[in-house]
Amino acid sequence: MNNAEYNYSEFVSSPNEFLEFAVHAPKASMRAPSFPLEDLATGATVHMKDLWSTGVTVMEFGSFT
Amino acid sequence: MERLADQYANRAVRSVFIYTREAHPGENYRHHRSMEEKRRNARAFLEHSKVRRQILLDDLEGAAHRSYGLLPNMTWIIGRGGLIHYKSAWTSAADVADALEGVLDFQANRAKNQWALFYSERTAWSTRDQARFHEGLVRAGPQAVADYERMLKGSGTSRNAPSPDIGPRVPGNFYRTEEESGER
Repeated sequence: MNNAEYNYSEFVSSPNEFLEFAVHAPKASMRAPSFPLEDLATGATVHMKDLWSTGVTVMEFGSFT
Repeated sequence: MERLADQYANRAVRSVFIYTREAHPGENYRHHRSMEEKRRNARAFLEHSKVRRQILLDDLEGAAHRSYGLLPNMTWIIGRGGLIHYKSAWTSAADVADALEGVLDFQANRAKNQWALFYSERTAWSTRDQARFHEGLVRAGPQAVADYERMLKGSGTSRNAPSPDIGPRVPGNFYRTEEESGER
């Protein structure tokens, strides 16, 4: 999947996306992958692993649309 | 989810919102072609939704989103040190709260009670607020409405009831009756 495919301009549902999530995304009891993210408020880089270094973290993924 | 974040903040639970690609881009909030466009839409989301949680932007290529499964509104609970306790295809505050109670109990009492962690799966449920969802599509623009209606016509999802005791099918419900599976 390239950048244009990821940021699609028109919504087209993928019949297998939920199955992919269930089967291929990390599972409960595994170690969470960490990626750098950008804090919208400050512009600072936040590494996901720093979120859960001291306690429990709830992560909701989403967008405006 | 805002209320839940407030409720658990004093129990050392950190709640964040990770901003991904636009799920239903339209004329008013288009797909992202740059990080600046992504920031602009995220700021509009913040202004509209009044989210108080920390908003973190994934990169333009969606590296984190892809790694966690690409769904548009999933929630994950990660324990101290990075152990995945919970992954959910859709976000339900009630289900997240139920799972959080278990996670906090485990973390507080694991050693004392000699609990051993194991892998488990289960179903969850929530009310589908179609009117509110449609408002969001309209806000995004006519194209978002048309794209979604085209998907509904093509797939029939959310309209079929596979059986009286399992409710309307929504994306992520894999259940098929014997008849639908061709086993009868």
